[in-house]
Amino acid sequence: MIQVLLDMLVTGLPLVPVFLGIYTVFRLRADFDLTVEGSFVLGGAVCALTLVHGWPSWLALLAGMAGAAAAGAVTALIHLLLRVPVLLAGLVMSIGLFSVNLHVLDTPTLSLGTEGTLFSGFGSLSGRQADLATSGVMAGVVAVVLVAFGLFLRTELGLALRATGVNARMARSQGVNDRRLTVLALVLANGLAGLGASLAVQYQGYADVNMGGGTFVAGVGAVLLGELFVRPSGSKLVRIVGCVLVGTLAYRLVLVGALRVGLPAGDLRGVTALTLLVAIAAERYLGALGGLTRTLARTARSARTPIRQEAA
Amino acid sequence: MLRLDDIDLIYNAGRVDEVVALRNLNVTFERGQFVTVVGTNGAGKSSLIQTISGAARPTRGRVHLDGRDVTRLPDHRRAGWIARVFDDPRAGTAPELSIEDNLALAMARGRARGLRFAVTARRRAVMREHVAGLGLGLENRLADRVGLLSAGQRQSLTMVMAALSAPSVLLLDEHLAALDPGTTATVLALTTELVRELGATTVMVTHNMDHALALGDRLLVMSRGRVIADYDGTEKSEMTVGGLIDRITGAGDAVSDRSALIEKVAS
Repeated sequence: MIQVLLDMLVTGLPLVPVFLGIYTVFRLRADFDLTVEGSFVLGGAVCALTLVHGWPSWLALLAGMAGAAAAGAVTALIHLLLRVPVLLAGLVMSIGLFSVNLHVLDTPTLSLGTEGTLFSGFGSLSGRQADLATSGVMAGVVAVVLVAFGLFLRTELGLALRATGVNARMARSQGVNDRRLTVLALVLANGLAGLGASLAVQYQGYADVNMGGGTFVAGVGAVLLGELFVRPSGSKLVRIVGCVLVGTLAYRLVLVGALRVGLPAGDLRGVTALTLLVAIAAERYLGALGGLTRTLARTARSARTPIRQEAA
Repeated sequence: MLRLDDIDLIYNAGRVDEVVALRNLNVTFERGQFVTVVGTNGAGKSSLIQTISGAARPTRGRVHLDGRDVTRLPDHRRAGWIARVFDDPRAGTAPELSIEDNLALAMARGRARGLRFAVTARRRAVMREHVAGLGLGLENRLADRVGLLSAGQRQSLTMVMAALSAPSVLLLDEHLAALDPGTTATVLALTTELVRELGATTVMVTHNMDHALALGDRLLVMSRGRVIADYDGTEKSEMTVGGLIDRITGAGDAVSDRSALIEKVAS
């Protein structure tokens, strides 16, 4: 059981920044960015390449982040200059990036040595202790990312970003530059994907040109799963980061559990798709329950403060 | 002073589905003037608002605000000077965000948005003070989602948001149209109070002839993308709803005398 949880942490924590990026576009901006399927690999590839060239692990992490962020910037440019939806721009990018990634890696799979990664020092430890130390380092990075992201959302810029997704016309009439925020959201989301990929690459010791497939659907599934537990909304920022954290770990728990039960690795994509479906079904079905409790809470509150006028 | 010079606003120009929204429009709004605008559907009232706010860029002509040519500035860059209240109560606020987040968004209008916190204790105090004036008790519900508010409450909140950054122009685009009669009276009272307080040049589009006559110190009647009548305060006070309706229905093709019209508007 403990091993299942450790597996969940070491494979799940690197995905938290990635899915936070997906949340940014999917929920905060109410849009779909498929770039992540390619930028995730690009981030990992750049990280692997810089590591092979002897860069320090932290710098390689940031390099991977920057590489993926650049891919997001290109998606934003395609969207703004050619006036195509973000969905289409991202789709084009996700296909095109495959070739770019192959050129960056120069081989379908680039193995790192055992030295020079964030987690190299743990080689001498026993399996379980190494996992524990690994997840500790990952948790540190993820915590910094989540706190920084939460604080960013509280700033004027972060607030503007949240507003554009809910009511773009209103945001513009309040002086928010919608186009600039589209660029910011895509750069941020893909940068986070690159950061997560870099963590994953350093942990698993190789970068693979196919490692990004299904990232988007997995991310959406994890976000939906997280929303079931945490119920975030536009102004509940702790819940937003909490939703991504809980959703990602729950999603990984399902996959790790499936492997433990003895399913072959090839079935994992099927499990991902099923998780997504179950999350959607639960949202539909249990959503009514959640709505009921909220209504009751609201009624109780308005009974205490008789200032409300007519119902909304 | 807000000045519209020779404005044409034409959609799909040169195509079969060409729509002329505004044609050769010349209007000058004096600083602090409260102007009401009436006209039938398609008369160009909303196009007038959009041209002023920057949501639509005119095909021809210039928009001047306080001596500055703002024709090429998009709506978000004019937001520091021009505040807007939409006809749809849902359009002016972000329902998913809290009341304080909505207000904070309006507070940053006209400034560069950076990495300062949007809601601080000091700003919250300012918000509370502004919202308390509404008498709706919203000052105790700053963390609530705006989606929980009624249409009237949301429209009142939008008015407060419009006033927060002391705009020099206030645009009210049929902002009472979607409200029930009781709420209309409340928001209407709020409107007159706010306009007096702000001293902003105010353009209020309305379908309600009573409101058009009762409020403001100038009345524009629009038809087919032109201003067909321009009444100052005295003329307006002598006008009746019946007379106004006659003027609008009587317009039709009778308004072909363009030169007379321009002379009237320019004076």
